[in-house]
Amino acid sequence: MSGRAIGLQPARIRAIGMAPIGTRWLEIVGAWMLGLIWVLPLLYAVWTAFHPAAYATRFDLFAPLTLHNIQLAWEAAPFARYFLNTTILVTLILVAQFVLCTPAAFAFARMEFPGRDFVFAIVLLQLMVMPDVLLVGNYRTMVHLGLVDTILAIALPYLGSAFGIFLLRQTFRMVPQELDDAARLEGCSLLGRLWRVYVPLAKPTYIAYGLVSVSYHWNNFLWPLVITNSVTTRPLTVGLSIFASTDQGIDWSIITAATLMTSGPLLIAFLLFQRQFVQSFMRAGIR
Amino acid sequence: MTIRNQMNESGADVRLHGVARSWGATTALSGISLHVRAGSFCVLLGPSGCGKTTCLRIVAGLEQASAGVVEIGGRDVTALPPAQRGVAMVFQSYALFPHLTVAENIMFGLKARSVPKPDRLRRLDRAVEILGIGHLLARRPGQLSGGQQQRVALGRAIVAEAPVCLMDEPLSNLDAQLRAEMRREILALQRRLGITMLYVTHDQTEAMGMADQVVLLRDGRVEQDAPPADMYSRPATSFAASFIGTPPMNLLKLSHEGMVPGTGGPVLGPPRAAATLAGIRPEALRLSDHGIPAEVTHAEYLGADTVMVCSVGAEGRLLARLPGRVAIADGALVHFDFGPADLHLFDAATGHRIPQPA
Ligand SMILES: Nc1ncnc2c1ncn2[C@@H]1O[C@H](COP(=O)(O)OP(=O)(O)O)[C@@H](O)[C@H]1O
Ligand SMILES: [Mg+2]
Repeated sequence: MSGRAIGLQPARIRAIGMAPIGTRWLEIVGAWMLGLIWVLPLLYAVWTAFHPAAYATRFDLFAPLTLHNIQLAWEAAPFARYFLNTTILVTLILVAQFVLCTPAAFAFARMEFPGRDFVFAIVLLQLMVMPDVLLVGNYRTMVHLGLVDTILAIALPYLGSAFGIFLLRQTFRMVPQELDDAARLEGCSLLGRLWRVYVPLAKPTYIAYGLVSVSYHWNNFLWPLVITNSVTTRPLTVGLSIFASTDQGIDWSIITAATLMTSGPLLIAFLLFQRQFVQSFMRAGIR
Repeated sequence: MTIRNQMNESGADVRLHGVARSWGATTALSGISLHVRAGSFCVLLGPSGCGKTTCLRIVAGLEQASAGVVEIGGRDVTALPPAQRGVAMVFQSYALFPHLTVAENIMFGLKARSVPKPDRLRRLDRAVEILGIGHLLARRPGQLSGGQQQRVALGRAIVAEAPVCLMDEPLSNLDAQLRAEMRREILALQRRLGITMLYVTHDQTEAMGMADQVVLLRDGRVEQDAPPADMYSRPATSFAASFIGTPPMNLLKLSHEGMVPGTGGPVLGPPRAAATLAGIRPEALRLSDHGIPAEVTHAEYLGADTVMVCSVGAEGRLLARLPGRVAIADGALVHFDFGPADLHLFDAATGHRIPQPA
């Protein structure tokens, strides 16, 4: 009896162990494939941008490196101004979102008022509306407000964010009630508690959400394209597309150089703070 | 010495008049009235869910009473916000702010109240000296052991220099040894500062060891409000009797003749029409050749004494705590005797104590 049971064990262990090893290999190969597919255009862009135009479609390990394309691209369009516009835009949106979402999330998380859940449901409904659907409506509103072709107009539709409210509400709800009570007992006002207890404890969420927001609005294209029509308001994405389509014909070297240049800061920032970002995402519960 | 001179605090009276609290259909407190004298140590004792925390939070102002009045230091504070009531509080989970250092945690309230910096540091120094946590000031709560977190929480209560300190099961997250140590420390602290303490626990040994006054709660009502010695020697109800003591008081149901059913005597209580409970503390019983007949089911030797579990009559169970080591085989028949003053009688239906002719 016992002998047979023992005899069976190695086989069973192998049988149990085999399946995970098999799927593990599949997972690893799959991950590499996905990674490669994702990084290929980027690699091509890097290759083309830093080599003379002659090598744009030809691979030669010893092709001469050059920064000439970057220089040409930089001079071909007012990219400095576009950088400034985009920076103003994402900063404006980020600050406004933090300032507006924080009290809203706090109210939904910790205050009791009639209709709270109903109002929150309405806020959540906003998550299901694709921003592009509202393009025409938003444009009309901006015309009424006399804001067409301003940076504020690009930002305005995004200042109140249902996603931000939802995320911060979840985080605030996880703050132990006793911490709130302790602060109340020590004489903190409502805003004092929000500022000294809830906001510091939600820091990982702010970082994670901030990253999502900045990268989304750094890359946002359609709405800025519709609402802007001058150099002083255009963000990088719109500037880049105009530059790539009309001004230059199809010179891949310069286009890729300009593309790398415009997405570079975001890429570098992400690589630098990669670990913090990933940790923040884990802690904030977005994956 | 110098520390004592700097102190401007001392306790304040705390009074509750008919305080009640309910949430919809659940009633947590129904008409609690009690008086805690200035500078005394009052323990709110009771099983889980009896309303202790609710009561404490109402005194703190963190919870609003549905009815009744709370007075602190002779002032009606029922409508005042927590910060204006002159109370400090130590929470069950310590409620330390994880993003702040120990020093910042302790001075949190002083900063929120804009106490000037020199004053803040003076109070911090004093609390640190009392609690011996000087080496921890730069750490964060996550880097502290349970006992150290407890000390920091006490520190935050000390620097508030409030006349009343509220504690909600502050020792329940500590291991047994540390708990005994902190118990002594909290008591010494309360005596030293002279503050009024309102302390919540479900552990009757804590209550007996620390309190000047024990308020026993049950289902949102005061079951008994008495000094620990009185609560032990004259429990007002069978519930109080069965809640206090290790092991708690034996309660034996008596027949109409006043005997334990299934035994031939002795007569424990007077013949009564209503059902009666006889209560005898395990430590009041002694082995004898007469008295209550019992059969030993099992004996537990605890070092200083032996707890003997016995069955009496048809369905009665009796615990006896006998000094030293008592070697009696399981199944043996013994008799227990006790002094006349050690017998307590309760009405089985209402639980109330039946007065006995002295
Ligand atoms: N915020 C609340 N909402 C509804 N019921 C509550 C609330 N707080 C406490 N209770 C109820 O009140 C009763 C007493 O609770 P509590 O004071 O926490 O008891 P204890 O601290 O003695 O264990 C419990 O039945 C509990 O369910
Ligand atoms: Mg409790």
